[in-house]
Amino acid sequence: MSHSSENQQARILHASGLGKRVKNGERELVILEALSLHVDRGESVAIVGSSGAGKSTLLGLLAGLDMPSSGELEMFGQSLRALDEDGRAALRAGRVGFVFQNFQLLPTLTAMENVMLPLELSPRQDVTAKSRQWLERVGLGGRLDHLPKQLSGGEQQRVAVARAFVTEPDLVFADEPTGNLDETTGKRIIDLLFELNREAGTTLVLVTHDLALARRCDRCLQLEGGALHAIERRTGVGV
Amino acid sequence: MKLIGLSLKGLRRDLRAADVRALFVALMLAVAATTMIGFFLDRLDRGLTRQAGQLLGGDLVLEQGRPFDGELRQALRDAGLRLSDQVDLVSMVSQADAFQPAGLKVVDDHYPLYGRVRVDRGNGIEALDHGPRPGHAWIAPRLAQLLDVKLGDSVQVGTLALTISGLIDREPDQQAGFAGLTPRIMLNLADLDATGLVRPGSRIEYELLAAGPSAAVDSLSGRLDELRDAGVEVRDVRVDRPSLGRSLERAQKYLSLAGLAAVLLAGVAVAMATRRYVDRHLDTAALLRCFGASQRQLGQLFAWQLGWLGLAAAVIGALLGLAGQAALLALLVRFLPLELPPPGWLPWLMGILTALAVLIGFAGPTLLRLRRVSALKVLRRELDPIPVAGWLVVAVASLVFGALLWLYSGDALLSLGTLLGGLVALVVLWGVGQLLLSLLLGVLARLPQGNGGHAWRLGGRQLARRRQASLGQLLAFAVTFAAMAIIVLVRGDLLTTWQAQLPANTPNYFAINIQPQERDGVETLIEEAADSASGLYPMVRGRLTAIDGRPPSEMVPEEHRNDGALRRDLNLTWRGSLPQGNRITAGEWFGAGASQTIDGAVPISVEEELADRLGLSLGDRLTFTIGSDTVTGEITSLRHLDWESFQPNFFIIFPPGALEGFGHSYITSFHLPDASNAMLGEMVRQYPGVSILNVEALLEQVRGILGQVTRAVEFVLGFVLLAGVSVLYAALTASRPARAHEGALLRVFGAGDRMLSRMQWAEFALLGFASGLLGAVLAELAAVGIYAWLGLTPRLHWLLWATMPPVGALAIGIIGFTLSRGTRRQAPMASLRLLGET
Ligand SMILES: Nc1ncnc2c1ncn2[C@@H]1O[C@H](COP(=O)(O)OP(=O)(O)OP(=O)(O)O)[C@@H](O)[C@H]1O
Ligand SMILES: [Mg+2]
Repeated sequence: MSHSSENQQARILHASGLGKRVKNGERELVILEALSLHVDRGESVAIVGSSGAGKSTLLGLLAGLDMPSSGELEMFGQSLRALDEDGRAALRAGRVGFVFQNFQLLPTLTAMENVMLPLELSPRQDVTAKSRQWLERVGLGGRLDHLPKQLSGGEQQRVAVARAFVTEPDLVFADEPTGNLDETTGKRIIDLLFELNREAGTTLVLVTHDLALARRCDRCLQLEGGALHAIERRTGVGV
Repeated sequence: MKLIGLSLKGLRRDLRAADVRALFVALMLAVAATTMIGFFLDRLDRGLTRQAGQLLGGDLVLEQGRPFDGELRQALRDAGLRLSDQVDLVSMVSQADAFQPAGLKVVDDHYPLYGRVRVDRGNGIEALDHGPRPGHAWIAPRLAQLLDVKLGDSVQVGTLALTISGLIDREPDQQAGFAGLTPRIMLNLADLDATGLVRPGSRIEYELLAAGPSAAVDSLSGRLDELRDAGVEVRDVRVDRPSLGRSLERAQKYLSLAGLAAVLLAGVAVAMATRRYVDRHLDTAALLRCFGASQRQLGQLFAWQLGWLGLAAAVIGALLGLAGQAALLALLVRFLPLELPPPGWLPWLMGILTALAVLIGFAGPTLLRLRRVSALKVLRRELDPIPVAGWLVVAVASLVFGALLWLYSGDALLSLGTLLGGLVALVVLWGVGQLLLSLLLGVLARLPQGNGGHAWRLGGRQLARRRQASLGQLLAFAVTFAAMAIIVLVRGDLLTTWQAQLPANTPNYFAINIQPQERDGVETLIEEAADSASGLYPMVRGRLTAIDGRPPSEMVPEEHRNDGALRRDLNLTWRGSLPQGNRITAGEWFGAGASQTIDGAVPISVEEELADRLGLSLGDRLTFTIGSDTVTGEITSLRHLDWESFQPNFFIIFPPGALEGFGHSYITSFHLPDASNAMLGEMVRQYPGVSILNVEALLEQVRGILGQVTRAVEFVLGFVLLAGVSVLYAALTASRPARAHEGALLRVFGAGDRMLSRMQWAEFALLGFASGLLGAVLAELAAVGIYAWLGLTPRLHWLLWATMPPVGALAIGIIGFTLSRGTRRQAPMASLRLLGET
C-alpha cells in the first residue's frame, strides 16, 4: 500500500479550463478547449471518443508529459504549471505509470530490460525479480530475452503494461491498453488492471474503445469537441 | 527516366536529414583531402624535377672532351628538345699584374635553359634570362676581390680583353659540389675562339644541355646508350637528380599517409551515416514495394539518389581541394624558386574516383538492405530485413580501401599487407571490444550505491545493452582516434627529426685546399671566429683502378659501369675515429691503431650506397691509383652517412698511417654567425690558396624547405583532424534518435534533467574512454609499420596511452552531450511524437 501521508486528500487529479492548441504553419488547431476533470484516489475512469478527438493528447497532458496551452492542472495536489520539466518528472517518478498507444518500447532492449528500465532509475535491489514477476503476470514469462520486434503487437502491448505497473504506481494512464488484444488476453489484462485497482488502490485513467473495459470503470467520459461529457454508465452503450 | 527525377526529388527532401548531411560532408572531405594532397604532390613533384633540371642545367646533359657534331644536335632537336651549348675550362685570367686561375663557363645565347642568373650589373641584383653579351664577362665577387677589379674594368682572358659588366650572385645551374672550386668567370661562346684558349691538348669540357619533356628523353634511350659506350658522360635529370634527400621524401610520404587517413576517416563516417540513412528509408522502401516497385527499381532509385549526392560532394570537394592545394603552395612557393607547373588533371579524376569508391565500399553493402525490403514490412514491423552482417560491411570497405591504397601507392604488396594487417587488427579489436563491454557491465554492478554513481551505472548499462550498436561505434571511434593519433605522432617525430638534422650551428662555410703547412694557422683562425667546426679532414685524390685485382669495368654491375665514381678521382681521407653522423651498417670500424696491412692491404671503410652501386661487399679489395703509386685496401666496414649534414663526407676512409705519404690538402666546414665576418677577408689575405665556399644559400634552401614542408604537414594535419571530427559527428548523429527515444521514456518514468545529463555523460564518456583505449592499441600497432616505412626510429608512445582514453572520453562526451542537448529539453510527448514517425 503506497499511500503517502502528505497526499491524504482524495482528489488525485484536478483539471480546470484545460486547453490545448497547436500551431500548424499558419493555422491554429484547437484540440482541447476549456476541459475540466477531477479524479479521486482509487477511482477508475474511462475516456472514450472518436478517432482524432484528442484522447491521447489529453492523457499526455494529464500525466504532465506535455504542457497545456491554457488552464490549470493539479496532480497529487501539486500544480503542474508551477513545476518545470524536471519538477514534473520528479513528481511522476515511481508514482505514475503510462501505457502508450504505440507502446514505445526501446527496440534494442529485450522485453525484460524494457520492463527493468523504470525500476533502475533509483538504486534498488529487487529490479530483476520484480520485472520477471510482472512479465509473468502478463503471460510473457517465457519471452524475457526477446527483442520487441520479435514479439507480436499484442505481446508488445503486454510488455508495455508490465512496464507501467512494475513500479507499483499510485496512478496509471493507459492509452488503449487492450487495443491489440484478442478477447481472452484482453480480459486477462483488464482483470489485472482492476485487481491492482482493488488491492493497491491504484487509480486508473484509461482511453479505450473496448466497451467491456469501459463498462467496468467507475466512470465513463466522452471526449467530444474538445470537452468531456459524462456518460450514464448503465445505459452508456451508445457511444 | 522517371527514376532520375524521382531520385532528385527524394534527395532534395532528404537534405534536411542529419544523416544525409553527414554523408555529404564526409564524402566531400574525403575528396577534398585526396585532391588537395594529390594536386599538391603532383605539382611539387613536377616542380622539383624542374628545379633539379635547373640545377643540372637541363633535363639531359651530355659532356665530352670535344665539340658535339651537328647530326647529334639534329637528333636531339627532332626528339623535341631545346639545346644550349656550354664549354667549361680552367685558365689564368689577369688584370694588370694580378693573375688568378679561374673556372671559365662559356655560354651561348640560349643559356640558361631553366631558371635565371642573378647578377649585379651596377643596379643591384637582377634576375636575367641570358648570359653575358659578346665582349663582356661576368665574374664571381671573389675573383673581383682577388684581382682587385670592379665593374667596368677589363680583364684579360687568354689573348682577349673583356669588359667586366656583372658580378655573379647565383647561377641557376650552380652545383653544390666541389667541381668548380676555382672562382667563376662567365663569357659568351662567340668570344671563345678569340681567347685562343682552345688548342690541341688543352683540357676542355664541351657540354650539350637539352630541355624538354621526359618522353623526348626516353625516346632517345638507345642513342644515349651508344653515346655512353663512346665515352660521353650522360646525365639524366631523373637519375642524377640531386635530391633534397630523405626529408622531402618523408614529407611526401607523410602527406600521402595523411590523405589516406582522411579517406579512411571519411569512409568510416560514410558507413555510420549510411546505417541511419537506411534505417530511415526502410519504411519508404516497403511502401514503394507495396505500390509495386521492383527490387531493381528500388535499388536504382536509391543508387541514383546517393549517386547525385556523391557527385555533388565530389565536385565541391575537388574545388575545396584545389583551393587547399593553392593554400599549401602559397606556404611553399614563397621560398621555393620553383616555377610550378599548373595543376594536372589526374587529381581531379582521382578525387571523383575516391568519392565513388568510398560510397560503394563503405555504403554499398548497407544500402543493399533497402532492396531486400519486403512489402509485408508495412504491416509487420518485425519484418525488417536482417541487418547487414558487420563483417560484410568491413570486408567490402577494406577491399575498396585496399584498392585505393594500391592506386595511390602503386605497391600491391604494401597494400595487401596493410589490408590483412588492418583486418586482423579489426577482428582482434572486435573481440577486445566485446570483452570491454562485458567487463563494463561487471564493474558497474560493483559501483557504490550513491546517487551520482547510480547515473554512471545506468549509462554504462545502457551502453553495454545496446551491444551491437555500441560495438560498431566503438570500432568506428577507435579507428578514428587511431588515424588521428598516427598523423599527430608521425608529425611530431618528423619535426623532431628535421630539427635535430640541421641545428642552428650547422656549418654554412666550407674551407678547402688547405695545405699541410697552413693547417694550424687556418684552424686557429676558424676556431676564433666560428661557433662550430667539423675539424680538419685530410684529403687525398685517388682513382679506383682495381677491384680484387681486376679492372672495375669487369667487376661492376653493367648498369653502373659509367658511374661517376669510376671516371673521376675520389676524395680519400684517413681517420682514427668514425666521423660524427656516420653509422656503421656492416662489418666493424677499424680501431685507431689499425694501419697494419693484411696481405698488403689496409682496412678501409666504404659508404654503403657507393658499395651498393658498384656491387662491393665486405672483404673486397680496392686498389686506388694516387699519382703514380697505388694503395690497396680491404673493405672491413660499410657506413651510412647523412648527405644533408653539411659536414665533409667521404666515400672512402683509410686508417691513419696509410695515406700520409701522399700529397694531400685539408678540408673543413664551420659555422659563422654572420656573413660579414672579418675572418673571411683575413683568410683570403693570409691564405690566398684556400678556397672558401659559402653554402649558406643551400643551407637556407634546405632549411626553408623543411620549414615550409612543416607548415604543409601541419595544414594537412588540421585537415585530418577535421575529417576525424566529421566521423564523430556522423556517428553520433546516427545514434541520436535512439538515445532521444530512451531519454524521452526515462523522462516519462520520472528521470530528472540531472539524472539524464549524468547518464548521457557517463555513456558518452565511457564510450569515448574505451574507444580511446582501443585506438591507442591500434595506433601503436600501426605505428610500427608506418615508422619503418618512413624510415623513422620506432618507439613506444607512453603519452599516447596516457592521453588517448581521457581525450577520447572528453571528445565523445562533449560532442555527444551537445548533440543530445535539444532532446533533453523537449517535453516527452513532443519527443515521442517526433520519434513515432520513424
Ligand atoms: N503536436 C501536434 N501537432 C499537430 N497536430 C496534433 C499534435 N498533437 C495532436 N494533434 C492533432 O490533434 C488531434 C488529436 O490527436 P490525438 O492523438 O489526441 O487523437 P486521439 O483521440 O488519440 O485519436 P486516436 O483514437 O486515433 O488515437 C489529431 O487530429 C492530431 O493530428
Ligand atoms: Mg490516440
